[in-house]
Amino acid sequence: MRKAAALVLLSTLFLLALAGTLSASVAFTPGERVPITDLIENMKKFDGKVVTIQGQVVGDGMVRGAFAWVTVDDDPFSNKSVEEGGALVGMSNISMSVWAPSPDVEPIRYYGGYKNQGDTVRVTGVFHRACPEHGGDTDIHATSFAVLRPGHGIVHSIQYPKLIAVILLSAVIALLWYALKVRRKSAA
Amino acid sequence: MIFRPTSKDLKLIAWGIGRVILGVGLIMAIPLTVAIASTEWNTVLDFLVGMTACFTFWLITENTCKVDRDLTWFHGLVVASLGWLVAMGFGALPHFLSGHFKSYLDACFDLMSGYTTTGLILIQDLDHASNGLNMWRHLLTYAGGQGIIVIALTFLFAGSAGAFKIYASEGKEEKLLPNVIRTARAIWMISLTYLVIGSTFLFMFLMKDGMAAGRGFLHSVWLFMGAWSTGGFAPMNLNLLYYHSFAIEIITLVIFVIGSFNFALHYAVWTGKRSEIVKNIEVRSFTITMMITTFMLSIGFSKFGVYNSLTEFFRKGFYNLASGHTTTGNSTVYATSFYKEFGFIAMWAIILAMAIGASACSTGGGFKGLRMGIFTKSLWGDIKGLVSPESAVVREKIHHVKDIWIDESLLKGTMLVLISYMVIYGVGGLLGIMYGYSPSVSFFDAVSAGSNTGLSAGLTTPLMPSLLKVYYIFMMWAGRLEFMSVFALFGLGIAIVRGRKVGALR
Repeated sequence: MRKAAALVLLSTLFLLALAGTLSASVAFTPGERVPITDLIENMKKFDGKVVTIQGQVVGDGMVRGAFAWVTVDDDPFSNKSVEEGGALVGMSNISMSVWAPSPDVEPIRYYGGYKNQGDTVRVTGVFHRACPEHGGDTDIHATSFAVLRPGHGIVHSIQYPKLIAVILLSAVIALLWYALKVRRKSAA
Repeated sequence: MIFRPTSKDLKLIAWGIGRVILGVGLIMAIPLTVAIASTEWNTVLDFLVGMTACFTFWLITENTCKVDRDLTWFHGLVVASLGWLVAMGFGALPHFLSGHFKSYLDACFDLMSGYTTTGLILIQDLDHASNGLNMWRHLLTYAGGQGIIVIALTFLFAGSAGAFKIYASEGKEEKLLPNVIRTARAIWMISLTYLVIGSTFLFMFLMKDGMAAGRGFLHSVWLFMGAWSTGGFAPMNLNLLYYHSFAIEIITLVIFVIGSFNFALHYAVWTGKRSEIVKNIEVRSFTITMMITTFMLSIGFSKFGVYNSLTEFFRKGFYNLASGHTTTGNSTVYATSFYKEFGFIAMWAIILAMAIGASACSTGGGFKGLRMGIFTKSLWGDIKGLVSPESAVVREKIHHVKDIWIDESLLKGTMLVLISYMVIYGVGGLLGIMYGYSPSVSFFDAVSAGSNTGLSAGLTTPLMPSLLKVYYIFMMWAGRLEFMSVFALFGLGIAIVRGRKVGALR
């Protein structure tokens, strides 16, 4: 009886381990959305595979003939940047370069930066750990490129505590300058 | 017997530091102008707060610390070492007020990284940073590359006999011209000329590569400043990978290699001594160590097989190796690629290159080619001495602008600095390992910080332990000042605590 129970237990454990291994090996299906961190951390695994990323376009759209380079960030700042009051989450940006047909990037209205929250795009394409066409760059060659959500301008309201600090410090400077002049005069 | 410094000594040091901080406040006018031109009003306020704070400090020291004495060597050393720390505190104000830093410590980290032309960053959401902040980041690495003290000397210490003492305390022992103020101005002349030429080339190719004119202009100036100063900063998170441009990589490579050469070499070439390029010990040392590490890199790459073509080897391997060797830190790969895509041998080739570093009296860090040359020549002399007759006198010389015989005191000074570098690299690496990072990653980032390089294998993030941040700040500072000024600061601390008699410092 004990032997049978042990056998059942072992079989269950074996099946669970097998299921775990199988689920890990099929964790990615081609074209599935992948966080950029996963791409960067597992370049070998995703090399040459069709992947989908989604995030904010930042910086510039650099058109080079029939194709263009755009940079996509999918970190927490891509939802709400520091300039919009987004929380500091303890990381730098997580970016991926996308090589896309120029007409596909034309609809982009806002590129993320200090004054703008960029458009949110969804890109599907082939991931290259070391792209042979681009001198070993890590990139995605887009096969489909869609703007999901338009970006917007960021309103920076004046931060009055800083203004008050400037006024107070300026007053202190004026006093110290006057004191210095008096001191120099008396020394002369 | 250790003398306790008098209040006059301390006042003189504070007055010197006040002048340095005035210099920091004045150069904030440039990012302030950029922020105004870009209508970034909150950034304008950040710089106004920074400038007014600097001017307040300067006026306090002018009012309370001015004494009728000139600086001695010891004062110069302390002003240089302490001046950098105080300048870090004041310079970090606009950084911290921008809201892109988790803490003031993180802002100070980036400031010290900039001043010391290191290039490691803890800034968050860089891709949304303002033009004003980016101008400040790059300007301080450009200014830091020439030496903050050099700036102060150029404009604020004119006529002071103690000027050379501060100048030399910043890790620059060479006088290009008989007068140190003129030397400082010559350094600026060289740097500004290259700024115009380098930025123009970068601008042309950024235009060709599809960047808009306004941003292209700013990026060209920033990329030049980052490369020339061997700081390695760039305005976007992807650093040089952002541009996907072979031309931009070639131009920045040329800029940082030239920038890593000794100012004395630049001056010799400028004044017609072109043969100096071939004869100079630092150029020879750099060429040899570059060849050795390139060979190591190629073995590493061939074993790992990620970057196979010659173009890939050049753009991903050689570029990053040269960036490391010149202690620049511009990078064309992700931080994680150094240990996941390069492999062990290639990664350690870069660590070795970073540890050796660039030229003395340049914007670079590390052991320096001059010291490697002195050490190697001295070793060669010892070997020759062993196989020579007992009565033979074996002496070695190096050529650095002029012929210099290697004697006991030169070798002693060289070894002291070499050992100091090895100690800070080692302690930094071990600290990283103690915090659970892999040995290769720990040593990669520690050597990068200590040699003022700025490449990272992923350890340096805003979430790294605070103790490591503090130690990295120390490494960047001590490495940049080449230890002597740092030793002097410790000496002052000891003199204040343990000094027995009140007496003027020598």
